[in-house]
Amino acid sequence: MYNDNNAQTIVEYIKNFTRKNSLFMLAYGTGCGAIELPATLTSRYDAERLGVRGAATPRQADLLLITGYLSTKTLKRVIRVYEQMQDPKYVIGFGSCTINGGMYWDSYNTIKMLDKYIPVDVYINGCMPRPESVIAGFKELQRLISEGKADGATKYKENLDWYRENQKKVLKNWPLVEYNW
Amino acid sequence: MNTILFQLFGALATILLAFTVGMFYGGIRRKIIARIQNRVGPPIYQNFLDVIKLYSKETSIHHGAMQHMGPVFAITASITSLMFVPVLNGEGWFWFKNLNFSGDLIFLVYMMVFGSLGMALGAGQTGNPNSAIGVTRGLSQMVGYEIPFVMSMVALMAQFHTTSITGLMNIQVQENTWLMFSNPFAFIAAVLAMLGMFHYSPFDIVHAPAEVASGPVSEFGGKYLGLMMSSGSIFAFVKLTLFVNIFMGGAANLIELVIKTFALYLIPVLYGVTSPRYRTEQAITYFWKWPLFFGVIAILWASF
Amino acid sequence: METTFIKEELLFRQLETAFENVVLEIARKEAVLVYAPKELVAPILLYAKEKLGYKSFSHLSCVDWIENDEFELVYILWSPETKINLFVKTRIERENPIMENTDTIWRQINTYQREIREMFGVEFPGFIGEKEFILEDWEEIPPMRRDFDTLDYVSETFDERPGREDKQDVRERIANRSGEEIPDFAKKYSRE
Repeated sequence: MYNDNNAQTIVEYIKNFTRKNSLFMLAYGTGCGAIELPATLTSRYDAERLGVRGAATPRQADLLLITGYLSTKTLKRVIRVYEQMQDPKYVIGFGSCTINGGMYWDSYNTIKMLDKYIPVDVYINGCMPRPESVIAGFKELQRLISEGKADGATKYKENLDWYRENQKKVLKNWPLVEYNW
Repeated sequence: MNTILFQLFGALATILLAFTVGMFYGGIRRKIIARIQNRVGPPIYQNFLDVIKLYSKETSIHHGAMQHMGPVFAITASITSLMFVPVLNGEGWFWFKNLNFSGDLIFLVYMMVFGSLGMALGAGQTGNPNSAIGVTRGLSQMVGYEIPFVMSMVALMAQFHTTSITGLMNIQVQENTWLMFSNPFAFIAAVLAMLGMFHYSPFDIVHAPAEVASGPVSEFGGKYLGLMMSSGSIFAFVKLTLFVNIFMGGAANLIELVIKTFALYLIPVLYGVTSPRYRTEQAITYFWKWPLFFGVIAILWASF
Repeated sequence: METTFIKEELLFRQLETAFENVVLEIARKEAVLVYAPKELVAPILLYAKEKLGYKSFSHLSCVDWIENDEFELVYILWSPETKINLFVKTRIERENPIMENTDTIWRQINTYQREIREMFGVEFPGFIGEKEFILEDWEEIPPMRRDFDTLDYVSETFDERPGREDKQDVRERIANRSGEEIPDFAKKYSRE
């Protein structure tokens, strides 16, 4: 009875419904995109009506928002933060810089493709994306979650070697610690 | 046998009621804050979604035994205090004759601190500096608001020569008055102390996300955060019901209870949403000025 | 109208009498340049601070003159009284660049020296500061030197997202497709 397909479908539906409507967001705001987030979260655009609210620490967060460019130095911190988050977890890459380096395409110290280092569920393009696009990105992520397709965390676990190899290529001399995630 | 079963069911029903009411109040609070900030705000059932999601998250963090015990302590303390607060007046409704005996006020005041202490132990184990700062702030603030609160409780107990909550409720029924009119200063002191008890702005120095990254709970994610949210909701209900019981004549049925508790709940919410956060020493100074003064007056009022 | 440089002239005279072997120049209004050999930089800074009222140190920067095989260090001082910027410029050789440590005169020079040590590889013997400032685990030659090939390094270390190898300027094509008009000022930035 407990393995009944319908029952499982219902449980999955409830899980996905709550997950998509309650996104605790950790904004990793080292890039210039961080300035778009106050506008997104406050009166004018009000992302909280979609259930998106800020989380203070990675332990509490479901959604990691990488706003803008990442230097190799901050990439270390991002990987640590991402690995400290609890499953299920999602990543939104925000701005052109996370997609292909953007205006930092020839910078010696900025990574070009974020999804080589951590799995990205949704990209929001633009330089800068306006709050409308950020909300559209949240909506897109919610659609993926309700369809059960936002499986970045599983991808990361299954292909950990590939991700680690890419990370080590950029981050030299970094003793990669295994965390209890 | 039957009575024990009934009491257990009653206890379960009370927990469920407290959880639901507390959660909805939290949701309404978020809605009120949003409307005051000219936003649409989340739906009022948003807190339920948050809690269900948090319970369905994986939780694989280990910092030591106390870290796992902390949230459990918190929810234990909430439920235990709930068990000692009579939900409804007199006989009340059939199901809510829960495990409370003639609930003793002194024990309850003691029990309400226990949750915070458990949390402090749990947060201390995680080793996160933000947790340590948050715990220090929380305990300092507790020193601030406990004193006027206990003074107002002592004033009531001295005035009516009883330490029992049901005793106080019966006195209000017999004399057909509310204790907030019999000893207004005790009520004022207790309400001002309640502002601090709720940890809402401007007394949210413990959880201040921008300062100490949500303080004691900064290392707790997933199910533990869910436990703490549930514990907070239940505890909010406990505090509100206690205040309604001893100051506002209790409630004869659930609708009256909801109306009275919600009216009381609006005080910290509305005070909070219009005030920016205090610093720690400002918060303590706040409690040691007027609330303490009213507490002293309440005791004098009770003795003469 | 003829611009008069009275206070600049005054500063010029003061520096001229105090130091030999320096080349002075009034670059523009409220800017005086001093070209000094590297031994004289510390005395000039000290003199400016103690005698000329230069309370504030604005900036220390470095220029890579790869054609002359030299680095140029520029110390920029600011006097709130006379409101004149004083630029002290000195050249050091590019091979084995060593400059005197001056963070005892103004403490904030320490931070600039750390930056220049990391970005240009100029050594300042005797000053205390962490080795790593902005970069971490940098193994190549210092990245702000002009012989460091950024593009080469980037293509070696990072991967480019496929699809934009041709690097075409699609601005015009998009404009034609959607019937949009490119403003005149934007046309001169076109890559074709």
